[in-house]
Amino acid sequence: MGSPEVSARDSDDRPGNGAPVEVRNAHRRFGDRPALQGVDLRLRRAEIYGMLGPNGAGKTTLVRAICGRLALDSGSVRITGADPRREPTVRRQLGIVPQEIALYLELTVGENLEILGRLAGVARRDLAASVDSALRWTGLEDRRRDRVSTLSGGMQRRLNIAAGTLHGPEVLLLDEPTVGVDPAAREKIHELLRDLRDRGLAILLTTHDLEQAESLSDRIGILVNGRIRAEGSPESLVRSAFGDARELIVSLSLDPDDRGRAALQREGLTAAREDRIWTGALDGGFESLSELGRRLSESGLKVGEVRVREPGLRGVFFRTAGEELDE
Amino acid sequence: MSTAVFRAMLLGLLRDRAALAMSFILPGLVFLIFAAIFSGATGEQLRLEVAVADGIRSSTSVRLIEALGREPSLRLIGDRDLTAERVRELVRRGTADVGLIFREGTSLESLGGFGPAPLILVSDPARGAAVPMLAGQVQRAYFSALPDVALGGVIELLENEFLELDDDQQRDVELGLADLREEAMEAVEQGRVSGWGFQELFEREDVAGRSARHNHVAYYAGAIAVLFLLFSAVHGAITLLEESESGLIDRILAGPGHMGVLINGKFLFLVAQGFMQIAVIFVLAWAIHGIDLPGHLLPWALTTLTASAAAAGMALVVATACRTRRQAQTLSNVAILILSALGGSMVPRFLMPDLLQQIGWITPNTWAIEAYTAIFWRDQAVGTLIVPWIVLAASAILGLVVARRLARRMEVL
Repeated sequence: MGSPEVSARDSDDRPGNGAPVEVRNAHRRFGDRPALQGVDLRLRRAEIYGMLGPNGAGKTTLVRAICGRLALDSGSVRITGADPRREPTVRRQLGIVPQEIALYLELTVGENLEILGRLAGVARRDLAASVDSALRWTGLEDRRRDRVSTLSGGMQRRLNIAAGTLHGPEVLLLDEPTVGVDPAAREKIHELLRDLRDRGLAILLTTHDLEQAESLSDRIGILVNGRIRAEGSPESLVRSAFGDARELIVSLSLDPDDRGRAALQREGLTAAREDRIWTGALDGGFESLSELGRRLSESGLKVGEVRVREPGLRGVFFRTAGEELDE
Repeated sequence: MSTAVFRAMLLGLLRDRAALAMSFILPGLVFLIFAAIFSGATGEQLRLEVAVADGIRSSTSVRLIEALGREPSLRLIGDRDLTAERVRELVRRGTADVGLIFREGTSLESLGGFGPAPLILVSDPARGAAVPMLAGQVQRAYFSALPDVALGGVIELLENEFLELDDDQQRDVELGLADLREEAMEAVEQGRVSGWGFQELFEREDVAGRSARHNHVAYYAGAIAVLFLLFSAVHGAITLLEESESGLIDRILAGPGHMGVLINGKFLFLVAQGFMQIAVIFVLAWAIHGIDLPGHLLPWALTTLTASAAAAGMALVVATACRTRRQAQTLSNVAILILSALGGSMVPRFLMPDLLQQIGWITPNTWAIEAYTAIFWRDQAVGTLIVPWIVLAASAILGLVVARRLARRMEVL
């Protein structure tokens, strides 16, 4: 792999060597539409940062700004202390794993690693060792001479990640790394990502997969309308959203009218998905549920189901980004 | 890093059988078809199909028709009893290229007077060239196979206008013309030119000592080569947009690589691919049609190199100017077909009107074809190739520079 072994999280602020990624007050508009409205983000070494957000929240814009491929209207981006637009050489510290299988499908596994390694800046003399190491790391040694198009979806995803780390970057930007793979393959990919984290990489994971973000991320940011609305470890986010309360989910049989919607909001509930699923926190005991049901029915709502569960990231996400989610 | 891009493109081509066939088999096949068609349409083997109606029915008209029937460049169709109307119908239907009607009530013997012409040429405007060809053959046959008639007509004209022959002179002329007729008829039957007759006005001399067939093969080798060169170059350049859609470019740009590296690598590959593609066509032209490739290897190689580079530059401009593969495909198809039509890859330039020939100079096809024909057809000195080489090389460099500039749009959003 050849990636630098940086394990101490408190080494971020060493003089002359800034945090792997630091975004300050980033603003960017596309015409009238604001894409980023004051984003602050600081990635630490040896951590996985899960970036959640509904479609159009600004995730792609943020990642492109970090790569130095998009100019900000105001604010700054620093990769290990340097501006990636002014000092393109600092981009060597970045590895990127796109959501698509960004590989040459008709070339073999080995050929892909060799070619993408060279394009990522691996010196010719180090290439063979880097490729061998990546093959061992991903468990694809015996598929070296097979064309990528013949690999399973999980193997292609592993290779997609390996190709982004051949040059030993300090920062890895991943976009939906497990789309379309089965649970076993997904777990294998999670192991690879944790391994990279343990080697000291700062990993920014943009995903819609809440379970993945919760199980993998050391910290999570929820980006909504170009702003980070919530940030912290999964546990701290859940705690700040729900405290000691449980998560309450109300499913309606019919779409609520304005009166019903006002009643749901009075109960502290937020539309999670569509207009029929509302979530909130249950502060009291279970006995308060029947009282809640009665009040909602009196407001003309047709309640199909009321559920109570231990709160998780899903609840936090829907409470934070609920009204911005797509139908 | 550009070599890595080159390698990726080379391996991609080798693994893509359809692209391989499109690049190296199809052009050769199309060239062989075109060469077969056009090497047989040079005029050397052309035989005009002529429908004849003899409304005069004199011994002279019969002799003239017989003489025309022995002309190797003509084939008389239908029987000897065709009517004038039937001849017109055969021409209208396209069964005959041209019709020849001996007008009833006229004579071939008399050259004076103001009466209607004794011969009518019936033509279809779409086959306009057939008329002068037949007219020439009829005149030739008239003077070579019927010298007695032609000379008799001249004497009659002289007698009418300038002098009067006495009886003895009259008799001598008649005897002389009778001898001449006998000898001419004998000569026609034996398939030779009459010992007495009018001197041939023309003698044919071919330049460069080569056949027209050979020259047309040389023309089409260049023309087809450039047409497919453009298609393959665009096909290869469009991989840039595929790589953009698959996220490969995002991956490369996140590192130290930049679009210039990608464009350079692709340019080098497209030049090499184009060179090989043209080589296949010219090797076929050499092996099957006898083009002297080994004797002109160096000028051919330089022309091929600069033409491939020009096509690569143009293709990369198309790929970088478009946002999607579909857009690039449509734009390039339109551009290539227009450039090839104007540039002489479809119809030979020498058949085009002057204006179109002038417009053709803006296309890479014209410059490349001109260079190839200068080498293999006109056998011109290397000095005449310098301008085409400079133009092709300059357009290659311009294309590369423009493509690199346009590619910056993919780099910075």
